[in-house]
Amino acid sequence: MILDTFSILAISSAVLAILMLGTMYLRANLNFYALHTLAIAMETAWMAQKIHDEHLYWVAFFIALLKVVIIPRYLAWVIRNIDVESDSGSFIPAPVAMLTGIGMLGASYLLSVQLSSLWGDIDSRIGAMAAMSVFFTGVLLMLSRKIAIGQIIGFLVLENGIYLFALTQTHGMPLIIEMGLLLEVLVVVMIFGLVVFRIKKSFEHIDVSRLTNLRE
Amino acid sequence: MAIFEWISFVAVVFILPPLVLGVLCKTKARLQNRIGASIFQPYFDLYKLFSKGETVSEVTSWIFRNAAAINFAVVIVVALLVPWLTFKPAFVGADLILVIYMFALTRFFTVLAALDAGSAFSGFGASREVTMAMLVEPAVIFCFASLACVARTSDLSVIFSCDNFSLSHNNALWLMAGLGLFLSSLVELSRMPVDDPTTHLELTMVHEAMILENSGPNLALVLFTHYLKMCILWGIAAQCFLRSISYFWTVGPLIQGALSLGALFCMGVIVAIIEGTLVKLRWTKLPQFIAFAVAMGLFCVLIAVMRG
Repeated sequence: MILDTFSILAISSAVLAILMLGTMYLRANLNFYALHTLAIAMETAWMAQKIHDEHLYWVAFFIALLKVVIIPRYLAWVIRNIDVESDSGSFIPAPVAMLTGIGMLGASYLLSVQLSSLWGDIDSRIGAMAAMSVFFTGVLLMLSRKIAIGQIIGFLVLENGIYLFALTQTHGMPLIIEMGLLLEVLVVVMIFGLVVFRIKKSFEHIDVSRLTNLRE
Repeated sequence: MAIFEWISFVAVVFILPPLVLGVLCKTKARLQNRIGASIFQPYFDLYKLFSKGETVSEVTSWIFRNAAAINFAVVIVVALLVPWLTFKPAFVGADLILVIYMFALTRFFTVLAALDAGSAFSGFGASREVTMAMLVEPAVIFCFASLACVARTSDLSVIFSCDNFSLSHNNALWLMAGLGLFLSSLVELSRMPVDDPTTHLELTMVHEAMILENSGPNLALVLFTHYLKMCILWGIAAQCFLRSISYFWTVGPLIQGALSLGALFCMGVIVAIIEGTLVKLRWTKLPQFIAFAVAMGLFCVLIAVMRG
């Protein structure tokens, strides 16, 4: 398989997302998330260069600024303040989750081969495969993690998957929509962070599996 | 030309391994703000051990005395078979399954010698070594097998030969195979995230615990075998990394040889940086680390399958 830069960036973002499943340390997760998003930002910039679209450069820049720098920093700050280092236990053990994620990558390859509208264009097929795999990885992260921070990271990965799918299939949406999405993600993460603080304050833990118990 | 190849290869096999370890230790010392021993220190250590007397426990059998020699012989043969340097003399029959099982054979004899000595700590070490080997073996097999699948042969010297163009544009496959082999080599050699090679706490050691009973020339032989194994495993990972760079395929054999020697030292420096910055993992966290090596192997398999 001869890969050009476009496919290598798409696949490396999928691989980095899968590696995120393998570790329970939240700091390592955030670092992997930053790298994974950096690959997506570079993919956007590459796309801008390929189709000579200037506004995609701006989108790439804002993704790099917001999702590679600000959001991981903010979440690291939240982690420091609520004093958790790692997920104490997950619903699926981390190695099993990672191997499932790889299985999902294979499944998304099979899916992308099945999609008839993608035939002939190898770039959009590999892009669709990577995007679906990132999406599945996000779902797996949200399903397997017990503490709330892990679920926030899972949501962010899922959102990246949707963005990557849109980017590789439509070659970039209008600037105003991208900006709106980015702003929304930022606001959502801020609110998530505050909610985690509230949960920590009222329950003294952030284990979502124990949130179903009623409290006097 | 052939005789020159053999001479240079034998020189490399006997001179290089302690030097790589010396570079590793020096880098590690500099990272920890120490001056550190000279990079030739491992030679002096080996010389010192060779000139010392040997103490053998009365309860041991012939296995304990001969295990080091058997391992040394097996690793020398593996060094001939595995293409861990580009200027290796040609040697037929380097099947990948054979190589994997020869590594398993050295592990078998190390474990047997450790159990033979009868010390409780060697028993700990042996049990840990076997557990880790069982976990890490799939990663190595996946990496080699996916390369073999793309090259349509299981002969390692053909897979790694520089004029095999069925693999020359598979940068992603080479990169993933290199990462998988590198991570599993850290486990097989009991380096830092798995085991601290400089520790002196018997309860946490893996490889060092198994050779606690060896002394004198026997220990020197065990150590040299370990260094050579280290060079082979890092060398093969370095070959994978080099082949993921398109430039490597276009240069002549002389530059390729120089690059592969340089890459071997680079691996030493990288491991030193890893050991300087990471902490040793708890034993129960180890499967999570090994899962990353297996994941790299599975990525290799996916790439090989998608291509076919």
